[in-house]
Amino acid sequence: MKPTVSPKKKFFIPSNKVYWTAKNPFEEFKAFIGSTPELPLDQIVQCTEAIMDRIRWGYEKLLEEEAKELVWMVQYNTIIKAYEVAEKYVKEVDYTAEDIEDFCFALENTQKIPYLIPGPAGVYISALCNYAKEEEIVLKLSELKTEINLIGFRLPRGKRLMIEGDTGDFTGIGLEGGELVIEGNAKNWTGAGMRGGKILVKKNIGLHTGEWMMGGEIYVGGRVRGLGNIVEGKVYERDKLVYPGKVRYPNHFY
Amino acid sequence: MGKNGYQQQAMGIYQFISEHLYFNRPDMEIKGERFNSAILLSLLTGLRKGKELIIGEPGLGKTTSAEYVCSLIYQFPLGVIWGSEVSGHPEQTEEKIIGRPDLGKLNRGEEDVVWTNFSQIPVKIVDEINRLPETKQSMILDGVDRGNWEYLNEMIINDEYCLFATANYQDGGTNTIIAPLVDRFDVMVESRYPGANLSFLIGKDKRKDHVLRHPKFERDLTHVLKSKIAYEKKIPKMEEVCNDYGEYLLKAIGVKPFQRQDRDQIRAEMESVDLDLDASAFTRMVLAELSFCERYGQKRVVETCEEGCHYTGYLCYQIKNCASNRLPSSIKQYAQGLAWLLEDSQIDIEHIQAIIPYTLAHRIQWKEEVLSQKERAKRDDPFPIFLAKEAVKTISQRYREQSDHLKDALAIGSKIFQGGDWEPLEGDHPLYVEVKKDINGRKS
Repeated sequence: MKPTVSPKKKFFIPSNKVYWTAKNPFEEFKAFIGSTPELPLDQIVQCTEAIMDRIRWGYEKLLEEEAKELVWMVQYNTIIKAYEVAEKYVKEVDYTAEDIEDFCFALENTQKIPYLIPGPAGVYISALCNYAKEEEIVLKLSELKTEINLIGFRLPRGKRLMIEGDTGDFTGIGLEGGELVIEGNAKNWTGAGMRGGKILVKKNIGLHTGEWMMGGEIYVGGRVRGLGNIVEGKVYERDKLVYPGKVRYPNHFY
Repeated sequence: MGKNGYQQQAMGIYQFISEHLYFNRPDMEIKGERFNSAILLSLLTGLRKGKELIIGEPGLGKTTSAEYVCSLIYQFPLGVIWGSEVSGHPEQTEEKIIGRPDLGKLNRGEEDVVWTNFSQIPVKIVDEINRLPETKQSMILDGVDRGNWEYLNEMIINDEYCLFATANYQDGGTNTIIAPLVDRFDVMVESRYPGANLSFLIGKDKRKDHVLRHPKFERDLTHVLKSKIAYEKKIPKMEEVCNDYGEYLLKAIGVKPFQRQDRDQIRAEMESVDLDLDASAFTRMVLAELSFCERYGQKRVVETCEEGCHYTGYLCYQIKNCASNRLPSSIKQYAQGLAWLLEDSQIDIEHIQAIIPYTLAHRIQWKEEVLSQKERAKRDDPFPIFLAKEAVKTISQRYREQSDHLKDALAIGSKIFQGGDWEPLEGDHPLYVEVKKDINGRKS
């Protein structure tokens, strides 16, 4: 006899059976708290911006204190005073050589810095270079429209500053034993009052070169437009010693 | 960990073998320490009750390296180890490997088995396993897998054993070790040429292994092994002689071998070492790449990859077979051993990265195009180990790029598994798909 009702399959589970729970294959990650993804590039940008803000703030303070009327006369006393103020602010910032280069471009391109006065800017950049951790600093300034004055002011012994591009007046004045290399041209009063060290200008140099220079050497790869009243030191033009030498008339073409 | 000094004891054995018995060059670096892979992995095999395949050119110390390690870990004189080795040749029989009928008793109409030394002692060395017919290879590996040795209607059970098998590269006299058998080995390592200068020293010092020989203890052990008492009763007697030999070694060469209770303690300590999250996520990543197939559900040796598959850049596209379930346990087993030896509290990604190539090399079947592409690459390792190391490097790079996201995906997987209302994370790696599959399996 066939059963009239088709038997249905039933699962019998003993009432006192302890159920086996499915094992969580990710159990060990239960307590893992994912970190919010932060890209390394974001961190770098944030950090760089914070440093740039500090550098910019120092520059603005320098302008406030030393160029109140937006006029700045290049006199030896004003340069020294401006440098002392710049030193004060620069010492407080932890920066690298790359930040100095960024600051040079920010001077021209950003709205955050309202004005570029080549004199105080040069003094401030010189202070940045002199207090930088790196012994060798390269500033790629060839794209900069403005030629910055006073670069290399008081560059100390053991430092090497290389400028890719041209520089303005008073380049390397008061040099204190460092090595300043200009890949382009330098304007007037280069090396004025320098006490030691070396200035290398790959192209041409302007008038009053080495005015009241007390020591050190200036090498010029191109032409020296005119020498200043030099007290001590040497000036070479295309490997030829021009001071001390036969021709020592200031600001004369030779 | 490390308070009982077992790690220093193990490193002492490593140093002694490395400096006096098995001249070698270090060929692997872990956490700034350089090791010779053949000795290190043999040491871990002995301590971890593993199965190791040692490959290499004839005469480069494949068998001797295993013998030295086993002698010092298990306190067996070299003569006993030699007497218990199975040598691979086509005429090898079950009677010579496992046991034979007791002919005296048989004459009296009784059935009894005389077990071979190989089946009785914990150290199992098979010389040239690839010269054995496949049936005999299978018989040994089955026995070692289960720890049971059966003959006629009798059985002995080894509760402590390890296997070392050596294999020459393919030549006229060798059979192949078939894939399912090869998979049973936890690791494969090469016993390498130590270089002309060290090889020259080996030539000068012919009897360097006599320090591990001792005729009296060898006779005593042979006597115990031959005796007609039950196997379970032989073990304590054997250990007694082994301990005496261990004391002799300590006096004679200054190396303290491990006693049975030491080895048990070490194994318990190793078992307690767990993987940290990175080690776990990285291992899962490796396993996913070795088993994943988007089109056919998993890798199968009989199926080929589709042209233009999205996962072309991953390891699954370069290999033919699927990772077995023995692979993760081999990885964990040896990584635990390594972390313990280096006195680390957890297994981290470095332990895993160091171990994986040796657990993978013999298990992966690479596609022909991959083999022909990399065959001529400049390398220091035998081809299978080189390929496995390269694969680990590639996966490590991928892991570095997405470790946080991957761990997030696994953490969310855990939350979903516990009933949380989360969406699984998306990502471009087979492991994300595997996580989803596990979650979907749970939901359905």
